[in-house]
Amino acid sequence: MSKTVATIPIKENDSQYYAGQYGPLQNTSGVNQTVFSFPDLNTTLISNYDDLGTSTQVRSTGNFTAHLLATATTLPSTSNQIPVGNIIVTNTTNNTIQLKNIQGSAIPNNQFIFLQLTDVAIGENYGSYSVLSLNDIINNFIVAYTGQDKILTRIKRADVLFHARRAIQEFSYDTIPSTKSMETTVPNTLNVPLPKDYVNYIRLSWADVDGVLRTIYPLSGLSGNPTEIPVVDANGVPTQDAFGSNLESSGSIIEQRWDTANQNTLSGNYDPYNNNGVYDHVWWKQAYGQRYGLEPELAQSNGYFSVNERLGTFSFSGNVANKIIMISYISDGLSYDLDSIVPKMLEEAMYSKIMSNIITPRNDVDGNTKAFYKRDAYVKTRNAKIRLSNLKLGEIVQIFRGQAKWIKR
Amino acid sequence: MAINVNTVYTTVLAVLNKEQRGYLTPYEFNSLAVQVQLEIFEKYFEDLNVMLRNPSNNTEYADRVKTLEEKINTFETSAAVTVTLSGEFGQYNFSAQSPAVHRFGMLEYTNGSLLPVEVEKVPKHEFLLTRRSQLTAPTQDYPICYIEGTTINILPGIASVASVNGSPAQVYNLEYVKKPADPSWAFTVGTVGQYLYDSGNSVNFEISDLDQSELILKILAYAGVVVRDPEVTQAAAGAAAQIEQSQIS
Repeated sequence: MSKTVATIPIKENDSQYYAGQYGPLQNTSGVNQTVFSFPDLNTTLISNYDDLGTSTQVRSTGNFTAHLLATATTLPSTSNQIPVGNIIVTNTTNNTIQLKNIQGSAIPNNQFIFLQLTDVAIGENYGSYSVLSLNDIINNFIVAYTGQDKILTRIKRADVLFHARRAIQEFSYDTIPSTKSMETTVPNTLNVPLPKDYVNYIRLSWADVDGVLRTIYPLSGLSGNPTEIPVVDANGVPTQDAFGSNLESSGSIIEQRWDTANQNTLSGNYDPYNNNGVYDHVWWKQAYGQRYGLEPELAQSNGYFSVNERLGTFSFSGNVANKIIMISYISDGLSYDLDSIVPKMLEEAMYSKIMSNIITPRNDVDGNTKAFYKRDAYVKTRNAKIRLSNLKLGEIVQIFRGQAKWIKR
Repeated sequence: MAINVNTVYTTVLAVLNKEQRGYLTPYEFNSLAVQVQLEIFEKYFEDLNVMLRNPSNNTEYADRVKTLEEKINTFETSAAVTVTLSGEFGQYNFSAQSPAVHRFGMLEYTNGSLLPVEVEKVPKHEFLLTRRSQLTAPTQDYPICYIEGTTINILPGIASVASVNGSPAQVYNLEYVKKPADPSWAFTVGTVGQYLYDSGNSVNFEISDLDQSELILKILAYAGVVVRDPEVTQAAAGAAAQIEQSQIS
């Protein structure tokens, strides 16, 4: 997923934004035209091919189709679509494409080209005005906060880049709401690789038949995933191979036992064939349903997960096997592009954070000024957190309606 | 606005010839003119440095920083330059740049239709340090360079390329301060052997006409040495010092 960033002021017209359509653009050059630009789009065009000569497909993530229209009112359809192998993007800065100079691809004089973004690309562009790019933040900061007559008269651009990127990392951890999540199925091995840009998890949950998410809880010391499993001799001393390195076992016994553990013994769930300490009505009529020694923390049947550092995976308890799970996690905002997106609600906090972090190590700024900007950054970060928490009066009122419900004791 | 070289020469001669103190030949004048123009020109940068540290004002004609910047602006020039790849670096050698580079200002890089970005010039040591951090390593959005001799070394290495079939043109633009052209009072020889001003072949002073008085006085101070008249040198140097004093106090 790669969200786009809208320009200020907005350049896209309604059909470009809502329908992802650009054109039709007429060829008035008098000859066949093979090069067209679509500069108003927020979306950066991606073609499946990079070379018109080799006809070798290099990716499958192309995000548009182009159509050759005989008239301005001809409807774009598969019949007039230009084959994707006959289009390459030659300039991503202003979305220039080049068409193969053959019939059915090159646009004849007075005919039209029409561009249609894919549904995914349209979706990525929706809401693009709510964010701005980190490069915008950096450039704005340099313009507004540095230079002659400003507190940062002389500053290296590398310092601004460093602190801006550090700021977006820090904000990604605890201020920007997590937008990263992955749906997957837990295999019988009970291990799911950590996502490529994983930094920490927010919540892991499995979906029941109604799609309701059930929180899977962290292991919290109940079992464990050893990072090393050396093969030991009868005296407990690790054994080595011919190259002097410790021999490692192929699998952890602790993990094997945990994978096959009976969760009912932990949760206290009643099982007529294995009472696990729960007093059932057959034998203990006076204490029906009671269970002594129950840990409320463990009295859940949604399962457990742990981060298995040895395998680089999420490891799950046996009762989550084959379930559909959703992994919500945080990244640091810089995983795929140094020019990541920043919510506009965070813009002011970003400036203050960069400012504070830049002047803190400087020896030409007095302590009071440093303290002022540190406080300023703290206040604006707090404001940004409140804004991004998305607390709406109407929603809170609805939650408060729960006060009328009687809680049975 | 430039200062007419003939005005300066005739004024200098008028002062020198008073009471038959001596005569300054065109050859001597031209040498002194080059020297003094450079002196005044170099002082612009030092004066600007001093002025920037003083409280400024916002008036139209009395803002010294603005005045000095206007004087320097006359010599600011820019030129599209061709950067070639050499190993991992983009390189440009400005030794043959015309007009010659006197003070390096800024190298700008433009990627296709994007807005130009400054190729930040850093000392070589910082250049190496900047590359080491993954958060500050040079990118196409934020390139950096260092100068070795007359060669600019740029990272990331992107060569100048023209646009082909809509591909983004890679363009570099060098902003710099050039040196003022050497002034010259050209002449032809008259019927009785006298020097006649040849305006067509003369080169005027390029420094601001705001500095005309200082220019004449400084040439006079040197002229006093040439004609061996310490009185002229003393009087001119005193007057020039007074002007300088009033400009920076």
